[in-house]
Amino acid sequence: MSKSSSLYVDGDSFFHRMDGAVKLVLLLVWTAVTFLFLDLRIFVVLLVAGISMLLVARIPIKRMKFLFWMLTLFTLMNSIFILLITPRFGSTLTGSNTPLIPLGYDTINVETLFYVLTLSLKYLTLCPITLLFIFTTHPSRFAASLNKLGVPYKMAYAVSIAFRYIPDLSQEFRHILNAMQMRGLGISRGDGNLKQRMRNLSLVVVPLLQSSLQHIESVSDAMDLRGFGTKPKRTWYMGTRAMRSDKIVVLLCVLLLTVGIVLKLQVVQGFWYPL
Amino acid sequence: MNTGIQGSGSSGECKGGFLMKPSIWKWSTRTVVTIGIGAALYGATSWIGIPIAPDTQLRPAIALLAIFGALFGPVVGFIAGFIGHVINDFIQSGTVWWGWALGSGITAAFMGLIYLSKDFNPKDGVIKKKHLISFIIYGVVGIFVSLAFSGLFDIYAMGEPNNKIVIQVISAGLVNLAVFLILGVPAVWAYAKRNRNNANLTVER
Repeated sequence: MSKSSSLYVDGDSFFHRMDGAVKLVLLLVWTAVTFLFLDLRIFVVLLVAGISMLLVARIPIKRMKFLFWMLTLFTLMNSIFILLITPRFGSTLTGSNTPLIPLGYDTINVETLFYVLTLSLKYLTLCPITLLFIFTTHPSRFAASLNKLGVPYKMAYAVSIAFRYIPDLSQEFRHILNAMQMRGLGISRGDGNLKQRMRNLSLVVVPLLQSSLQHIESVSDAMDLRGFGTKPKRTWYMGTRAMRSDKIVVLLCVLLLTVGIVLKLQVVQGFWYPL
Repeated sequence: MNTGIQGSGSSGECKGGFLMKPSIWKWSTRTVVTIGIGAALYGATSWIGIPIAPDTQLRPAIALLAIFGALFGPVVGFIAGFIGHVINDFIQSGTVWWGWALGSGITAAFMGLIYLSKDFNPKDGVIKKKHLISFIIYGVVGIFVSLAFSGLFDIYAMGEPNNKIVIQVISAGLVNLAVFLILGVPAVWAYAKRNRNNANLTVER
């Protein structure tokens, strides 16, 4: 588990200076375009573009390694399960069947292997852009830019509070877990069977809930005292003004989305299988 | 001086504003903070998981969704679940699984429907057997509706094979159900009971 909710890495690249709202639009458009296709060629192009953007942002690789491996591990596991559960799924997409690896109950065919490769690249395509977003966007600035995108400021503030309180609550959760462990009510493997561990975990829920409710009381009182929510609009200390480069990026996003939709409708409809 | 409710039996009465619950559409400061802290709580505890099926985990955090839904209503539950899931994905998994994030929100929204029943008020210790039963029904429906949604999302947006998704959805559904019944329902009950004891205190003069 990572220690802090804010993965933000300070820097001064093009992407660090970019408006948070614009980066969110970029992330969403990128995700939407990726969702449209099941085509290896497009994913390779998007992946290369994404990685070069990450390189431009100059985020230390050490910081990103964990998330990258998490996703790679996920993708690998996912691929293995697809191959084991539906070894001939690829045929339903291509109509052909080229047996390759016998499994005993069935045979993995070339089409499914190629499908799994495509799907894995699809997931990996989403990774660089997500990393770019989370490592170059300051949480407070993000809340301000959400508001600029038209999200009501109360909602944006809730997001901001969530980011702010994750480290505190994880700490508290750990404290409660440790306190329970000292009484012999731990939740790790040595503390008994699964049922016992679940029961011990359930003992943590109520104190954690109680302390969160206390947090809610004190934070909302503090905010009320400062007059939160009395005006229909709000300015942001961390707000940024959109620059010309931001507008260009938004235009590029619109272009990317249009090209994606046109490609989907005209050129590449389904699963691309060259063999 | 009688400050509140005697027990689960006499809870039908509503004295003035004391038992009034705020409308689910009103966004007070408290709503904002509740959503924020609820999302943080869900995000902070989502990392605990026991893997049980292809990329599917037993996540005790589901219980917290149930509690926040029951205490603060479906709207707060939905938004807190969604934001919490997205933030957790940002921190933990390298990409956001939008379908499953919306699924978390939908689960919490369904579980929060119990908040709408008029005489249910765990904050003042009012919870009856019929509330518990409808809470369980809402929860069960919510878990399966949300997983059906997430599964269909994966099939259509991601192009995952149907059979694999069916296995994932069913196993995740059963596990979430178990967590909901073993952790979520008793926690709401325990919370209400604890507050009922408080409400029984009288001031000696």
